Amino acid sequence: MSLAYETIATLRRRLLSKEIHPRDILKDLFTQIDAREKTLHAYTYLHRESALVAAEKADLSLPLGGIPIALKDNLNALGDPCTCASKILEGYKAPYDATAVSLLRQAGSILLGRTNMDEFAMGSSTENSALGLTRNPWDPTRIPGGSSGGSAAAVAGRIALAALGSDTGGSIRQPAALCGCVGLKPTYGRISRYGLVAFASSLDQIGPLTRTVEDSALLLSVLAGHDPRDNTTDLRPPEKFLTQKNGSVQGLRVGLPKEYFLPGMDSETESAIRSAADWFRKNGATLVDVSLPHTPTAIAVYYILATAEASANLARFDGVRYGRRATDARDVLDLYHRTRSEGFGAEVKRRIILGTFVLSQGYADAYYCQAQKVRALLRQDFEKAFTQCDLLLTPTSPEPAFPLGERTQDPLKMYLADVFTISTNLGGNGAISLPCGFTKSNLPIGLQLIGPRFGEETILRAAHDFEQAHDFFQRLPPS
Amino acid sequence: MSAPQINISDVASLARLTLTPEETAKFSAQLTQILGHMETLSQIATGAVPEVTPPAQPALRQDIPAPSLSIEAALSNAPAQANDLILVPRILE
Repeated sequence: MSLAYETIATLRRRLLSKEIHPRDILKDLFTQIDAREKTLHAYTYLHRESALVAAEKADLSLPLGGIPIALKDNLNALGDPCTCASKILEGYKAPYDATAVSLLRQAGSILLGRTNMDEFAMGSSTENSALGLTRNPWDPTRIPGGSSGGSAAAVAGRIALAALGSDTGGSIRQPAALCGCVGLKPTYGRISRYGLVAFASSLDQIGPLTRTVEDSALLLSVLAGHDPRDNTTDLRPPEKFLTQKNGSVQGLRVGLPKEYFLPGMDSETESAIRSAADWFRKNGATLVDVSLPHTPTAIAVYYILATAEASANLARFDGVRYGRRATDARDVLDLYHRTRSEGFGAEVKRRIILGTFVLSQGYADAYYCQAQKVRALLRQDFEKAFTQCDLLLTPTSPEPAFPLGERTQDPLKMYLADVFTISTNLGGNGAISLPCGFTKSNLPIGLQLIGPRFGEETILRAAHDFEQAHDFFQRLPPS
Repeated sequence: MSAPQINISDVASLARLTLTPEETAKFSAQLTQILGHMETLSQIATGAVPEVTPPAQPALRQDIPAPSLSIEAALSNAPAQANDLILVPRILE
């Protein structure tokens, strides 16, 4: 079998036993990429030559020694492009490594390529990329989810073993659910964002997309920790995750928030999630009905705060220091206007305008300040729920992957696709999405497990037990 | 509170964006719809609720000199430069 179909944990064992060499993994991955990338378009850039050079020098004694990993195209890696799938960053080459990238290198991994995304991570379908759309490996007429759609499609399509993504409102978990892989959004403060191009700084987190929960834990163990260059990172000492496996479900209190089971939700999704809850009950967990009463406000809160922060963060793209610069500008103001108007796509402009509006004089109290207060209530909902249970179990997405083009003209409908993931970002909690079933038309369905802040170990152990008791993670998309 | 009429061109100008007439028409309609959805927030009682503040962390790290980007690296992406400086259109006549 092609090594591209293996998990990181298996490949590490085979590398250490000298059964295979890192170049064998790359060879098989590039064979797969040559066969599938034309259809999927998961990558914006591939390290064909430098990866092979790195493979010859790989230090197998390191935790990810010899393992190729893909990066979402919003993470700076020294000397490489970092387009954020935007025309405004055409020609830019990163002058430094993001902390997450530097940690991957120190752990011995090989950079395989950079993955497509919605421009500046703004979107839920990867259709907002200026570099072309990405297709879902299970059905190429459908979206892969977003914004880390390239990362999810690459991992699910067996053209990457694992990829990093970023999650501001569900951008790791929703594409993982729609493509049938494992996506972890760690707790806010768990992983340094230094070198991640900022979208909404009070919400952004970096996390892994992998085939299995074990691989997710391996990557989290490498990436987690304090970084003096991102002082939102927590000061707790480094941890190794999922060192103990199995048997974690017995006695676990699993909360089912009633606001996440909506009338009219996709029936196949609901049925898969109810079956997953039933599996936890049959294996010794107690199911607890809980309420997160402010959930219906989350989309409004999120799209006020995230756009407000984005309007400030994206002010740096002005044509002065890096990236695209408009030619023949009359003066500096004209330079800003022309550079930004030519360089940003429609969704980015829409969000910058919305964010500027909600912060503007006369409206900031009603929108931005009110949203910050309701965010506090949403956080209190989570804190209260976690006095009654250890984990929350919900769908990741209200429906499976929708057809390409279906929502590009209706941004509000696109925003509503994030209904089950954004509260977690607003609360700062960690959450995972893993496959829990397939629709009759063979589209993956994702289960979300949300933990209390810094509860990743509980999340990963429960997710691993569920995953290993089912064969969903072993199913392959049609080739 | 009903959704306000947003003057898209004024707000875009604050954000240093110039919109085409097509963009102005399209975004006006879309943002009115999105702001309409956001009206639900005005019905939430938040009188005594403090706004979310950043998590309690030591706000400052120790001020210790350390290597940083070289001038060459920092300027490596500048669209125009001279004498280790970035060139921009003049701002004073």
